[in-house]
Amino acid sequence: MENIGALAIMLAFCLAIYSVVASLAGAWKKKPFLIASGERAVVAVWALIMLATGILLYALVTSDFRYAYVAAHSNRDMPWYYKLSSWWGGQEGSLLLWNFVLIWYGFVVVLQNKKRHRAMMPYVVATLMATQVFFLTLNVFPASPFEMLAQGRNIIEVQDGNGLNPLLQYWTMLIHPPILYLGYVGFVVPFAFALGSLITRQPGDQWIFTTRRWAIVTWIFQSTGVLLGAGWAYAVLGWGGYWGWDPVENVSFLPWLTSTAFLHSVMMQEKKGMMKVWNMVLVAGTFFLCIFGTFMTRSGIVASVHAFASSNIGNYFLVFLTLGVALTIYLILGRLDYLKSESELESVVSRESSFLFNNLILLASCFAILWGTLFPVISEAVTGEKVSVDAPWFNRVNIPIGLFLLFLTGVGPLLAWRRASAEGLRRNFQWPFIGMLVLMAGLFAWGIHHVYALMTFGLCLFVTMTIAQEFYKGAAAIGTKESMNLVRGMVELTHRNTRRYGGYLVHMGIVIMFIGFAGAAFNKDSTVEAEQGKAFQLGRYDLKVTSVNSGKTDNYVWQNAVVEVRVGGELITTRQPERRIYSQSQQPVGAVSIYRQWNEDLYINFAALSSEAQKPIIQTYIFPLVSWIWVGYWVLLFGSLVCLVPSKVKLSYARTEVVGIAGKHEKVAK
Amino acid sequence: MKKWRSSFAVLVMSGFCLAQTADMVQPEVRRVGERLACLCGSCNNTVATCQMVGCHYTAPARAKLSEMHKAGVSDDAIVADFVKREGKKALAAPPAEGFGLTAWLATPVMALAGVGFIAWFIRRSRKAAAPALDEVAVEKYRQAAERDFSRFEE
Repeated sequence: MENIGALAIMLAFCLAIYSVVASLAGAWKKKPFLIASGERAVVAVWALIMLATGILLYALVTSDFRYAYVAAHSNRDMPWYYKLSSWWGGQEGSLLLWNFVLIWYGFVVVLQNKKRHRAMMPYVVATLMATQVFFLTLNVFPASPFEMLAQGRNIIEVQDGNGLNPLLQYWTMLIHPPILYLGYVGFVVPFAFALGSLITRQPGDQWIFTTRRWAIVTWIFQSTGVLLGAGWAYAVLGWGGYWGWDPVENVSFLPWLTSTAFLHSVMMQEKKGMMKVWNMVLVAGTFFLCIFGTFMTRSGIVASVHAFASSNIGNYFLVFLTLGVALTIYLILGRLDYLKSESELESVVSRESSFLFNNLILLASCFAILWGTLFPVISEAVTGEKVSVDAPWFNRVNIPIGLFLLFLTGVGPLLAWRRASAEGLRRNFQWPFIGMLVLMAGLFAWGIHHVYALMTFGLCLFVTMTIAQEFYKGAAAIGTKESMNLVRGMVELTHRNTRRYGGYLVHMGIVIMFIGFAGAAFNKDSTVEAEQGKAFQLGRYDLKVTSVNSGKTDNYVWQNAVVEVRVGGELITTRQPERRIYSQSQQPVGAVSIYRQWNEDLYINFAALSSEAQKPIIQTYIFPLVSWIWVGYWVLLFGSLVCLVPSKVKLSYARTEVVGIAGKHEKVAK
Repeated sequence: MKKWRSSFAVLVMSGFCLAQTADMVQPEVRRVGERLACLCGSCNNTVATCQMVGCHYTAPARAKLSEMHKAGVSDDAIVADFVKREGKKALAAPPAEGFGLTAWLATPVMALAGVGFIAWFIRRSRKAAAPALDEVAVEKYRQAAERDFSRFEE
């Protein structure tokens, strides 16, 4: 069976190469059978990767410890679902997951476009399969999941495996990596269509219309993946943070920023025929940042708790990145004549320029995070001395950027296309602005003097009011005309232009998340050696450890502290934070207890037993408003899904139509 | 069974290396520690915010910091002492001097360059969009419009 798995991967690798060659040769020589053959090879690669994945999963579930990968990342006593999730617990398996997700995307693209985009498809298939070849190369050569444990010439089997990293034995880890991969790998589809459009010298926006939904869907997966990661860090790592500016976290966030910029600037191309080069740069940038993130996670170039063991596969990524970036730059520069803007900007105060500023801010944040992540490496290379770039630096640089972005979230959508009038600005922003100032003054008087928190709360109200105003105006107009109540009017309004009003809901989700982020300014914590029966205090809570218990399961031994929580003498909850030692890894891990409320979380971690007195060391935190982050995510998800619903009213925009290509490509166009 | 007994032993022993203090994060540690990086290699926190009880870097660093504070050493001198012993990596953020300055300046410079680019782009677009007005022609159209409107008023 193991041989079949390895063989399937190897055959998939060969067929992927064939698919690239056949597609390109078919397009070059204008041979439809070669193009069709290239597409069928995609289906064959899909079947082979499914087979290889099935074999690995079977080995994991049946604890077949002849496989080096199974022995290294699984053990007998793990529940079956964690055995399955060991698939992405190690380097080799997670690269197979990349291949698995990538080929699913390729498979769907081929099926969807059997009759569409025939000129572009060979290049789309070639791009998808070239990426597949790269990842299959890794699985075939340096990181095969089908290596067997051997002694001399004999395959051997160990009694039990090392087990999955205990930190990964948490429910969100069952879905976080696949969802994140769906987001990152998924951006290969818009990128492939963009490249296809460049190669076939298409002056129009066909690739944009084709990949619009893909881009939104992959963006949803990216957002969900990043949020699940934040939720995992919050609930598992024991320090209560949802974002630690760890290098791997950072690089996972970079493509999200550029894809968000892309989703905004693409509207400029759809509606005004502008920013065509920029959109190419953004879609390519997002794809290469996804690859770059994988390179950072796997090369060991930066130290991170999330990184896989350092290996030599970093060099493979560097080669792929260099070739890919060089080819993309070459194609974009060679096709500038086809990417000319069809409209011009008329005013600084307009919807168009707000998109420019939105892109600038998102890219500034992307640059800042990338710069901070790489700075220790760059500094060491330049000065020979290593420096640290920790959370304080990232917060100081990124908070002002985030606030400006929040401001634009409120302002941008309400500016008129082409040119906003002074009267329009006054009408749209007067009340939100007054509301913002009143709230900030009220909060200041109430005792909140943290400048960034004040600004965040103020801006959140500002944006909320602008969004509410938009919904109200539209719904009221529809309600009057169609005799509907306000709620039905809002539903109707949203249905008529789902992208616009879905987008507002996404903005609202971001606003709610910012409220949650601002809560961090008021975090409190204490670490105490708790005496049983004696209360200690944090904020309004009185906590008392009443007992310490221990026990075991098949997978780990545990010890918990029973903590009574009182407010004003009244018992509100009893929590049981736990410490575990997993049987195979012998690694101690905390299982925190979180008392979640809408206004704040009480977060209790049983950190250790003290050295001499054997008293439980309890870390207690109050995290104000943190639940708003998760609520904000659900609103964002809902808004994103609304954007995917087709609008009831088909909107068309007055556009200058491209009727010909001037310049050196004129001959080619003919 | 032997494995489980050893697990219990590890669970209990894991606390043995810890310093025994009632309040483990003193105010001076929160204040000065915010300027110092935790160099344990598995977190991105500061000496003030690292929450790993018994962290092999932060625990002794906090003890040293408190000791120096009690001896009357100023905050800046404590930080300088850490830098002297560990190098610049002891700081949570690069110093705003020498090459470290680029860490702070790169983002604002890039953002300003972006603003400059947008300004140039808008200016160029506006020039292209709005050709110079022919004042004579404008006056002719204005008079014609006034004539038409006056006819409506009649």
